[in-house]
Amino acid sequence: MDMTNNNSSNTTYAIDVQNLTVGYGSNVLMKDLNFTVNNGEIFVILGGSGCGKSSLLKNLFGLYQPLAGDVLIEGQNITAAQGAERQKIMTSFGVMYQQGALFGSMNLLENVTLFMEEYTELTQDQMDLLARCKLDLVGLLPYETYMPSEISGGMQKRAAIARAMALDPKILFLDEPSAGLDPITSADLDSTILDLSKNLGITFVIVSHELASIYAIADKVIMLDKGAKGIIAEGDPKVLRDTSTDPRVHQFFNRIMSKDVA
Amino acid sequence: MSISAPISSAEPPVAVWSQTDGNNAKISLMGKINVYSLGGVWTQIRAAQNAWLKQGASQSLVLDASQISSLDGAGIAFLIGVEEVQQKAGGKFEIVGLDARYQPLLKEFDPISNLFPVPAVIPKRSFIVSTGMAAQNLIDDARGLITFTGHLTADLVWSIRNIKQVRWGDFVNAAVEAGINALPIVGLVSFLIGVILSFQAAIGMKQFGAESFVGPLAALGIVREMGPLITAILLAGRSSAAFAAEIGTMTVNSEVDALVSGGLSPIRFLVVPRVLAGILVMPILTLYADIISIIASMFTMLAYGIPFINFYNGMLAAVDIEDISSGLIKATLFGVVVSAVGCLRGMQTGTGAAAVGISATRAVVSSIVMIVLVDGVFAFISYKTGF
Repeated sequence: MDMTNNNSSNTTYAIDVQNLTVGYGSNVLMKDLNFTVNNGEIFVILGGSGCGKSSLLKNLFGLYQPLAGDVLIEGQNITAAQGAERQKIMTSFGVMYQQGALFGSMNLLENVTLFMEEYTELTQDQMDLLARCKLDLVGLLPYETYMPSEISGGMQKRAAIARAMALDPKILFLDEPSAGLDPITSADLDSTILDLSKNLGITFVIVSHELASIYAIADKVIMLDKGAKGIIAEGDPKVLRDTSTDPRVHQFFNRIMSKDVA
Repeated sequence: MSISAPISSAEPPVAVWSQTDGNNAKISLMGKINVYSLGGVWTQIRAAQNAWLKQGASQSLVLDASQISSLDGAGIAFLIGVEEVQQKAGGKFEIVGLDARYQPLLKEFDPISNLFPVPAVIPKRSFIVSTGMAAQNLIDDARGLITFTGHLTADLVWSIRNIKQVRWGDFVNAAVEAGINALPIVGLVSFLIGVILSFQAAIGMKQFGAESFVGPLAALGIVREMGPLITAILLAGRSSAAFAAEIGTMTVNSEVDALVSGGLSPIRFLVVPRVLAGILVMPILTLYADIISIIASMFTMLAYGIPFINFYNGMLAAVDIEDISSGLIKATLFGVVVSAVGCLRGMQTGTGAAAVGISATRAVVSSIVMIVLVDGVFAFISYKTGF
């Protein structure tokens, strides 16, 4: 790491994971993970169901405390941070949960403005305009007054992305954003992600299974494996698809059935 | 108005308003334009813009974005906000010096009028309409209750015929939760009720030297009324709410739908075991509450110099087996009502987390209303029949 430059955002990684061990109590899911995410990169975490992708994600953004190791977000250690320092790190990223996790008692616009109300000095009109912009980006502008329970699951996910972007964070964590979306919406979402990454320099950390979407957007992927309890492949998804000799990676990227492998 | 004054923080403002003449104005943006740095500045720029626009027509505003070091989504919303005000007033607007990488994002929101919807006017309901709707709700609610009662009766009859197919595991769980786990609170409350009841009665009776009648009076009141009523209210607070929350969460998670689409009756599956549990535990809990209350009353009267044996004899003279069984039958009815209403409110749950809370509240309120109703009907019947 280049420490000569004082402007840390240029020299540090968006996310730096050091010797991270993920698990619950004595149940270790992932051991000694080391990887970095560059600023502005679209970084995708892959792996079969139940291998601990979502758990890893929750460790990255500090919701769960890792069993061992550190996670540095823009150079700041979220694992060790406490109180106000931790809250500051927490506002530097946005999170979209797998099920959306929208607040059921608020309409979509209120869901998006909630964090703005708490952290900024904008007026209600200004926050509403900001929130409408976010909803427009995910194609939900006409639904701003709907309650989460009145819209479909895919729409809830998109609204959750809009909420995650409320404070224009530098990093967005998305847990399976395109699962359950129709192909058109999914393609729209991919293009929005690319736009935000290219034009605003937002870093994306995405858990996803959708191969088409991964090829379209990912700069870099890591693939996790349950048996290996760690990363079995790392790099550009298309390169991995075409050149990887690891049978597990080959099987994943080429959608080969389990029974055809043995 | 001093627009160029720094806003609240030590940082220089990210936007500065300047007017060259009456018709031309400029907003200069500089530094990091984001959701935090715009706080306050936005409002001031907007105020200056409004004041300037009021001066006359055909005004032209230039937004100089050449000194921006970074711009995020909030910054883009700010540009759109300024542009919209200008558009509405019929003035000209131009952005100069904006970095090319921000252009696609700005284009994404075209046409910007979409971002400024006309606020929907919520039609006001007249008094007659809202009264009518309230009445309709009441009728719907009553209809739901009657339908539910019918379904429940049918399924209870079914479960008597097909006794082996009742979900006895769920029944035991519900009975343990509503019955055994309720023993401490029922014991505590009925003990205190026993003490308070005889204490209050004794104060009045003492004036006439009639303390010895407090025992029979309290015992009769406890066995016929207070025991069943207090136990039922506790069951409503504990178990009716629990049933509503449990079944409500299942409804929210589509678990009830899964039962229906699997060809199973949710009433038979979810409601019957809980209602049977209510029927079982209510008389037992009531008997337990009666005994604790009477013991409490005996100890209280001891303080007034009435020995246990006098209390006991007086009680035997006043209370007979008919009074006890009348109280227990009423308790059983309360058990049916409280558990069934809890389940009904659970099944009526809407969607979302808040709906479960509403269902639990409605369960307790409806249970207590139903308890009082049943109690009233029962009082009328026992007055007419002498039971």
